[in-house]
Amino acid sequence: MISYIGKRMISIIPIVFVATLVTFALIHISPVDPAEAYLTAAHIYPTPEVLEQKRHEFGLDQPLLTQYLNTIKRMAKMDFGTSYLTNKPVWDEVKSRLPATVELALWSMLFSALVSIPLGILAAVYKNSWIDRVSRGISYFGASIPQFWLGYLLIFLFSVKLDWLPVEGRGTWENLVLPTITLSLVLIAVYTRLLRSSMLEQMQETYVQYARTRGLRERSILLKHVLKIAISPLITGMGMNLGKLLTGTIIVEQVFSWPGFGRYFVDAIFNRDIPVIQCYVFLAACLFIVCNLLVDLVQLYMDPRISTKGRAEL
Amino acid sequence: MFVFHRRSTALILSVTLLLLFIIVGCSNEGSSKDASTSSANDVSSSQSITMSWPRDIGTMNPHTYNPSQLFAQSMIYEPLVSYQKDGKLEPALAESWTTSGDGKVYTFKLRQGVKFSDGTDFNAEIVKKNFDAVMKHKDMHSWLGVVGVLDKAEVVDDHTFRLTLTEPYYPVLQDLSVVRPFRFLGKAGFPEDGDTSEGVKEPVGTGPWMLAEYKQDEYAVFKRNPNYWGTAPKIDQVTVKIIPDAETRVAAFEKGDLDLIYGEGVISLDAFKLLRENDEYVTQLSDPVGTRSLLLNSSNPKLSDVKVRMALHKGFNKQVMVEGITSGLEEAADSVLSKNYPYTNVDLEPVRYDLEQSKALLDEAGWKLPAGGTIREKEGQPLELEMIFDKTDPIQKAMAETIQAEWGQLGVKVNLTGLELTVQIKRLKANDFDLYFWYNYGAPYDPHSFINVVASPGFGISETLSAIPMKKELDDRVHAALSSTDETKRQELYGFILKTLQEQSAIVPISYIKKTAVYQKKITDFVFPANRDEHPLTGIEVGAP
Repeated sequence: MISYIGKRMISIIPIVFVATLVTFALIHISPVDPAEAYLTAAHIYPTPEVLEQKRHEFGLDQPLLTQYLNTIKRMAKMDFGTSYLTNKPVWDEVKSRLPATVELALWSMLFSALVSIPLGILAAVYKNSWIDRVSRGISYFGASIPQFWLGYLLIFLFSVKLDWLPVEGRGTWENLVLPTITLSLVLIAVYTRLLRSSMLEQMQETYVQYARTRGLRERSILLKHVLKIAISPLITGMGMNLGKLLTGTIIVEQVFSWPGFGRYFVDAIFNRDIPVIQCYVFLAACLFIVCNLLVDLVQLYMDPRISTKGRAEL
Repeated sequence: MFVFHRRSTALILSVTLLLLFIIVGCSNEGSSKDASTSSANDVSSSQSITMSWPRDIGTMNPHTYNPSQLFAQSMIYEPLVSYQKDGKLEPALAESWTTSGDGKVYTFKLRQGVKFSDGTDFNAEIVKKNFDAVMKHKDMHSWLGVVGVLDKAEVVDDHTFRLTLTEPYYPVLQDLSVVRPFRFLGKAGFPEDGDTSEGVKEPVGTGPWMLAEYKQDEYAVFKRNPNYWGTAPKIDQVTVKIIPDAETRVAAFEKGDLDLIYGEGVISLDAFKLLRENDEYVTQLSDPVGTRSLLLNSSNPKLSDVKVRMALHKGFNKQVMVEGITSGLEEAADSVLSKNYPYTNVDLEPVRYDLEQSKALLDEAGWKLPAGGTIREKEGQPLELEMIFDKTDPIQKAMAETIQAEWGQLGVKVNLTGLELTVQIKRLKANDFDLYFWYNYGAPYDPHSFINVVASPGFGISETLSAIPMKKELDDRVHAALSSTDETKRQELYGFILKTLQEQSAIVPISYIKKTAVYQKKITDFVFPANRDEHPLTGIEVGAP
């Protein structure tokens, strides 16, 4: 088990390596000079002298290979350098913004699970009933509505018109409600349909008929046996989405003034703040791998058949 | 070989998840208290206001640039000389000043009895310390004219400070009135080595406000500085909420969470129109703070003839376009610089929209419509031009499309290219453009910064003008104006420069940009600052809500 996790963690190294290389190449292909972007953002006119000085300061006057190797060397020591824009260590900047993003991601994940699991089960069990139709309606709505627009609609209704919840900011549980719903709706849409179809599929399996003939109660068949297997695609989906949510939910953070990581990263892209971009790519790669690993571990637990197979492969 | 314990894995997973929630919850607790005590309560109190700002206020270092926000820096730090309405320079931390006959020595009598917000004295020594810190990184500030000509900064006595220049440069006082870098940090703010470029210890200034509370990306609370030397602000607290999204800002304002939205382009045109029509709120537009112009690059052979440039200038209905696209938020511009700067109140002949004259001018210049064709030609070359615009700016895009359509009727083909701002500036500097939307700097930088780029290569403007017949003479007059010590002569020189630019039509003024302010009725006495970068908060009064 430990060695399995260990192996998976080691796979982070080549992935991060490739990810940083691609990012590095993309940044340097872009026609925008980071030193110039910095000066533009600072409302300083980029005179040749200032540009040269900034390039030197940022180390951009060194050969590309040296720049890249330096970056990798520093990253290996978990040193992400100093932000061009704020002149503060990137890691400190990221650290101060991560909790907000993690908080929103986890609550959204939790909320979407709490809604979509019961809804998905009910939609499968009572196929073509009113509840199935309602769940289908929610799914169509959730999957097709743009997130920023949903955010504005919620703000308009619950904050401006009804005055129940704050428009923006972070701090109290009230602040969490609207961004969580905004983020969750699209997830609920997908998960509910995913679980419904997967449940329906499993319910056709012979083991279900066998259980029925054995005289097990319908509820116990559904919850103890069918759900356990049917939930597998949902877990995969959640793991992938968790990675996505943890790397910043740019639009929602923007609409609700959520002081998270996504907003910071977008600014970094516009300002070509290379150290920040690289730190982000590094974190994103790690988070995706860890989330995938979590998914596999949960799957292993939920479905023993996978666990035996998995063990054989190890 | 390992034994897989399903239950223990489940346990590990749930504990991890729980821990994550706890970590997040804990880290959040501090902020929630702050937020509820500061921002939430402010709105109800009549002695304070809450406003929004699109970005975090930054590090509040008076000597550095991004990400520090100018308006916030101007709340804490003050200049020696202050820029007021119509370019009048008024005493601030300097009570008076004298200039030597050759225009090279400026002696400032510093205001006595001024204290920093931490109670320490403001004197010539601290002024020198600040000048030294700025001049240590001269290259960073070389965009500001005075930095290039500053030779010596000296303490004469406790309250007298002297600047010596290498050559006369008249806009010294204007340059000293800008928000950064020449404003003054108290001793306690300096790091050990006195080098502020790496950061300040604490934001100690002499200004009317001091930073009382700050939460990155969320809010900043400014309280009145008890040691302030001037007229104290009437409100005692300003909370700045950081709201990056324009629509969210409007929603928070409508809900009553915000008392004031202020700035340039801070809300959408549609939102401004709606709020303007609502009697519950007050909306205001400032005097022009800058001009949106279109550069017609004369170094391109197709645009080198003044007749072609004049034809294009006359060939679109500026009035209708500006009104239609900006809904009155901007005003059609007749000259490159509006008349509210020093030396720019010059009578210039406005260029009027006249389609027929425009066509005649193009014919005269040899650009003729071929039989059955829609694009004018000369010596087999079509009159085709590229217009670069900022793809993130909806106003620029709409204007570019309008001009494209109007010039199309003249027989001029315009190809539109939307670019990222930084790429755009790069092409401007490289003189790689035909038509380009350009903005001047505004007060207190203009008019001297504007005429400076007219004569100095590397900024795109001198290049745009490079093929006009009197370019050499224009440059000479610019240099003469910048170093002149005689007011009357300087005014004369400005007159010539502005008149020449108007006649040559290489910089086509389109509209005057204005700042917007939207506020709740409880706010009275709102006045826009004359300096484009400063805050408008000191004079504000709050009545009964």
